[in-house]
Amino acid sequence: MLSLIPSPTIQFKPLFPSKTIKPLKPFSSKSSIQSVLQWNRKPELAGETPRVVVITSGKGGVGKTTTTANVGLSLARLGFSVVAIDADVGLRNLDLLLGLENRVNYTVVEVLNGDCRLDQALVRDKRWSNFELLCISKPRSKLPLGFGGKALTWVVEALKSRQEGSPDFILIDCPAGIDAGFITAITPANEAVLVTTPDITSLRDADRVTGLLECDGIRDIKMVVNRVRTDMIKGEDMMSVLDIQEMLGLALLGVIPEDSEVIRSTNRGYPLVLNKPPTLAGLAFEQAAWRLVEQDSMKAVMVEEEPKRRGFFSFFGLGVLAVTVGLEVGSVVFPILLIR
Amino acid sequence: MASIWTLQFHSLYFPHRVSSTVAKLRTEFTLSQGRLSLNRWSTNRKFQLKAVRDSASSNEDQNLESGKVAVAADTKTKDPVAKFQETLISLPPVAFVMKRHTRSSFAIGLSLSTAFLVIVVRAFIVRRSRYNRPGSVEDLVRRGQLRSDRRDVKHLVTKSAHKCGYLLKSPIYSSRPLKYEDPFNNPLVKVGKSNSTMEMCGKVYRLAPITLTKEQQTIHQKRRSRAYQWKRPTIFLKEGDLIPPDVDPDTVRWIPANHPFATTANDIDEDLAQNNVYQKHGVPFRIRAEHEALQKKLEALQNEQKLNKLVIDSSNAKDFERAFKLNPKSEEPLDQNPFVNQSGDLRPPRPDQAPNGYDSNSSSEEMQKP
Repeated sequence: MLSLIPSPTIQFKPLFPSKTIKPLKPFSSKSSIQSVLQWNRKPELAGETPRVVVITSGKGGVGKTTTTANVGLSLARLGFSVVAIDADVGLRNLDLLLGLENRVNYTVVEVLNGDCRLDQALVRDKRWSNFELLCISKPRSKLPLGFGGKALTWVVEALKSRQEGSPDFILIDCPAGIDAGFITAITPANEAVLVTTPDITSLRDADRVTGLLECDGIRDIKMVVNRVRTDMIKGEDMMSVLDIQEMLGLALLGVIPEDSEVIRSTNRGYPLVLNKPPTLAGLAFEQAAWRLVEQDSMKAVMVEEEPKRRGFFSFFGLGVLAVTVGLEVGSVVFPILLIR
Repeated sequence: MASIWTLQFHSLYFPHRVSSTVAKLRTEFTLSQGRLSLNRWSTNRKFQLKAVRDSASSNEDQNLESGKVAVAADTKTKDPVAKFQETLISLPPVAFVMKRHTRSSFAIGLSLSTAFLVIVVRAFIVRRSRYNRPGSVEDLVRRGQLRSDRRDVKHLVTKSAHKCGYLLKSPIYSSRPLKYEDPFNNPLVKVGKSNSTMEMCGKVYRLAPITLTKEQQTIHQKRRSRAYQWKRPTIFLKEGDLIPPDVDPDTVRWIPANHPFATTANDIDEDLAQNNVYQKHGVPFRIRAEHEALQKKLEALQNEQKLNKLVIDSSNAKDFERAFKLNPKSEEPLDQNPFVNQSGDLRPPRPDQAPNGYDSNSSSEEMQKP
């Protein structure tokens, strides 16, 4: 989904051809295609590093892990060092999404027990060397309740002070619910990304989670609306993004359209932001990552309008069909008129 | 004969006017093109009369070029039978029409054949693309997440790979650095001339600005602070335990007895765990502890007379050596740490050197206790 990035120095003017913004590189504009923004630069990192972001939702299955994987890899592709932590004690699946399940040998539980060091538990992605994965535990291991929050805080502190430098982003994939796993995951976080879908059950849980986050001291909360169907919104069978924002009162980080490519990318272990050409959902994730870097939010959303006009060849086909039908009708009607 | 004419009249009554009109149109058309139509009309008439004549014996062919029977155009014939004859004559056969309008028929045939060819080529390309891109479930089989025998995917994979030379690790998904590529400046997104619409992937969108204001955000925050009163739990107690007097009851989290991951925090030394997390170099604590415990055990055995006897007694030397054959490098001096080489780099711990260490915690705990 396309959106506009307002610069702090330039006031937002939606759909305004960028006459005031000069591109850094020569931009070959076509007569019919015109980009609204002409930013040919790396996003500027805002805030203090490392930025510890927890990705949560409350309700399960809305796309937290998918968001973590895709946003994390987008950040890595933009040149930032990222550590993604799967904070789900017992139901680990971020490694599956990234295709790294066969490389996870040690987890935070082993680090706590002294079986390995923290750097040995980090799994570096071979596709992007500045992206690392850390899992809290293996499915059959146990972590004491109430101890997880402290442990995760120690992990974040240790990552800050490591030799190769502090990572720019630490993304924590929060488990579903508001139980001990949720408390563990939000403990070291400074900001939160709330993932929700346009249905009332998800919104209710999201509202509750937002309240808990604010009670715990996390004020920088932004929302990602996932699995959006613009056709259903147009047919008024689904809540619009603006309705959701009105209900929750949170700034928008991104709007991700429903895309079957998500399932294929999960099966392949290749997040869909790496697809060439990019899909709509992949583009949306990249834009959300951009806004996360600059601590920005969406200022406009896309609303589906009229259906697309057919292309030249289909028009030509329609024209031929129209002529043929016209001749047929004429051959039948004209004699009737003559007889009369 | 009369009956035959009658039959012809009935069957051709409807197109009678059409045929005459068509003939007129054709006449006008030929006139407009600067051609004389009389010859054509007379030819038609010649042909028509012949057709009528031969209708009694319908098996005979209607030869267009037979000009033997030339009947003068008698436009003044008012006999209805003759009129109907004219009607019949005015209807040229298809072959004759086709032969006259060869150019248009050629064009029609060419366009039809081209359309058919396009459809066939497109179907072929679509079918081929299906073979080139098998479903992603095969990737699950490749990753070992799904059994191939259940779905018979392996066979399909082999077949398709053999057909099209498709490699499972195909370069469809490339991971190139973005490097200043702007996700908001994508050529797939087309902005309309009026700047009020956007076109993406076959759909047209309109931009709707966000309506949330700072005041509304503040109102929502206040609402949530009233609705959700929550304090971070600092103490986890099992069901049945007493709450300590200094503890706020709101910060107590009760652990159900049947919780699958319920363990008490007393089992874990927090300071030790914290040190383990912050450790950056050297052997992890547990591995080192197990190794030290094993070393102590070996030293203890050496000090015992039994081990000395084993060492001195040459007849038992084979047994002694055999015990250490599993660990060939343990013949190195015991004071040297086998886990750290000369450069100081850490080697991964070997499971054979600490066979019981990974299995249970009890042995390490026993060794750690003073």
